[in-house]
Amino acid sequence: MSAPSPAAPAPSPVVVWLRDLIRKPFFWGIVAIVALLLLNVVKDPAYLAITVNPANGNLVGNLIDIMRSSAPVLMIAVGMSLVIATGGIDLSVGSVMAVAGAVSMEFLKYAGDSASIGVAFSALGLALLVSAAVGAFNGFLVAYVGLQPFISTLVMMLAGRGLAKVITSGQNTAASNEPFRWIANGYVLGLPVVFLLALVLVIAAGLVVRRSALGLMIEAIGINPRASRMAGIQPKGLLLTVYILSGLLAGVAGIFSVATVMTVDVTRTGSQMELDAILAVVIGGTSLAGGKFSVGGAAIGALLIATLDKTVLFLGVSSSATPAFKAIVIVVLCLLQSQRVRSWFTSRRASGGPGGGAGTRSAGDPPPSGGGGDGGADPGAHTVSSGDGAAASSPGGAGLASDVEAKEVAA
Amino acid sequence: MTHLNWTRRAIGLVAAGAMALALTACSGGGGDTTDDASDGTADTGGLTTIGFVAVGPEGAWRAANETNIQDTFTEEAGYDLKFAPATNLDQKSQIDSFTSFVDEGVDLILLSATEASGWEDSLKRAQEAEIPVILLDRGIEPDDTSLYVTRIAPDNVMVAEAVGEWAVSQFPDGANYIILEGPAGVGVVNERNEGWDAAVEGSSLVKVAAQTANWSTDEGRSVTETLLKANNNNIQLIFAQNDEMGIGAAQAVKEAGLTPGTDVKIATIDGTKAALEALVAGDLSFVHEYNPLFGDMALDAVEKTLAGESVEPYIIVPSESFSDVATTEAALPDRKY
Repeated sequence: MSAPSPAAPAPSPVVVWLRDLIRKPFFWGIVAIVALLLLNVVKDPAYLAITVNPANGNLVGNLIDIMRSSAPVLMIAVGMSLVIATGGIDLSVGSVMAVAGAVSMEFLKYAGDSASIGVAFSALGLALLVSAAVGAFNGFLVAYVGLQPFISTLVMMLAGRGLAKVITSGQNTAASNEPFRWIANGYVLGLPVVFLLALVLVIAAGLVVRRSALGLMIEAIGINPRASRMAGIQPKGLLLTVYILSGLLAGVAGIFSVATVMTVDVTRTGSQMELDAILAVVIGGTSLAGGKFSVGGAAIGALLIATLDKTVLFLGVSSSATPAFKAIVIVVLCLLQSQRVRSWFTSRRASGGPGGGAGTRSAGDPPPSGGGGDGGADPGAHTVSSGDGAAASSPGGAGLASDVEAKEVAA
Repeated sequence: MTHLNWTRRAIGLVAAGAMALALTACSGGGGDTTDDASDGTADTGGLTTIGFVAVGPEGAWRAANETNIQDTFTEEAGYDLKFAPATNLDQKSQIDSFTSFVDEGVDLILLSATEASGWEDSLKRAQEAEIPVILLDRGIEPDDTSLYVTRIAPDNVMVAEAVGEWAVSQFPDGANYIILEGPAGVGVVNERNEGWDAAVEGSSLVKVAAQTANWSTDEGRSVTETLLKANNNNIQLIFAQNDEMGIGAAQAVKEAGLTPGTDVKIATIDGTKAALEALVAGDLSFVHEYNPLFGDMALDAVEKTLAGESVEPYIIVPSESFSDVATTEAALPDRKY
């Protein structure tokens, strides 16, 4: 902190990059992941070791397990971040996962041919089609009927699980199809296919929204729908697209999830995953009020959730203490992310310390006007909203954490 | 502009109304129970009305159990069975259905509770209304036998004890084991732990970990995968408290490069068809049935209760165990669930 400013008027690019990274809300998500991994290393120094399975050349290790188990939540977190950016929310993703799982398993079971790639692709296509249709229905209710996103997707959350049960007639359908199973269990270049697929989809989504005007338009809707309409953006079509995308990604997550064990569990597949997704998005620094969003941040949040789940198991935290352990980690993280809490600490340090120099600088930090690299890239309106968003995200985050705690306690 | 807004609002209202209707329909299950609430049994044409507060879709075992009960209490047998499954295994929805059965004055209530605790008030209400209650499968806590007529269930403690005894006999020289449990706090989980602990106490088996996998294959696999790594694959025995988790565990064992049956033996409870098939395939080593087909025993108890005869407070449904491939294969074709 003190090194660059007195020495050089133009700090080196690495320092600028680091400083930008630290200012990103999802920086604390990365810190939390590293901290959890360190905790595991303390328990077992070989935790991070990745070995090669001599039988098939696949990589084996705890990190690989985390990658694989993070795939479904990565998918829904990306979809959720887009929806939340428009000022909406999609509570139906967990149920859509169950629907996609049910559709694909039922199809595979009746198709019978357990080696055919064609059958696997048909199952995939069918499941994605149904998921997109559910998403489209959500989008229609939100964009054209004008219902509250919370209510319309809540309806789909209830109806979707019902639909999944109807599809399998209440059974947990199991099927066998090698190509389909490969999606979740196969390896390419030693890495799990499911993680690579998820990564490709996350990067693709990130590029599409950031390299085109799409991301900007989505943010515009979230910040001020009327102004965005006046500016020539068509919110209805965009909203519909965003909900369809969220449905599709939830469908992919559902396929990832059921393909792992080739069984759909209609009551449990994707159960309460919508909360995980919202949490991932919030950890990633997207405000629940809409507006500025970060696909990369949501991905970090998703990875954190997967790491947390696996850490609890690895450390051997007892089942009854698990919800409390998770809640503490998330509350601490949200507190660290909150600018207000951080400013309490810095101001206390500033008033206590005799040298005012460091104190004044950190007090001037929160508005990003100081960082030259930051202000140049973003349009003015953007920068203002970013300050808003970060402040708003923290209370939302804390609320969610207690939600999670409540849900776990109830379970 | 205003005109447009009004039309939109009208459309919104209509849609909201439709949605509300759809929602009430969804909450169904118990929906049809309110139909003849006013005149009780009078219009059922001499049929005995029975309210069945059920668990609903949970897995193959539950489906077999509830279908069996529904097939037993048919109109031909002289019963009008009102089936009310829980919404997403939620206890509150069960209490609601239970209360509405009491209010409409059914002749008897069958209850499979999703959660063991919190039933005292509802059961007292039924008692005041002089409606006998018979517990199917799941017990209640605290177990106050004055609040219900009888509980008909395979005995979880006994079944888990049998699994424990098998485990002790398989590993006379000791072994490291892990337990995959259902959700913490559920009665079944406590009972299955109790039976297992009683059987393995004093043996040289070492419990390395016990984690919940929420009855699901997916989590059974994910939990086992991590527990194996946390213990450097030094696990010889896995006790999965239901079949689904055990099948998931077998997948994780194979994924870790171990062979189920030789490196790691997996024992499960329930005895679904899928589990017996897995046993024949060598994935599972021991499956103890938890017999869901006790419709005839329930019918017998219901008849005695309604006739005013005394019934044992706890009726144990006999269950068998499978460990041998040949006998399991022979039993497979008759498996109903």
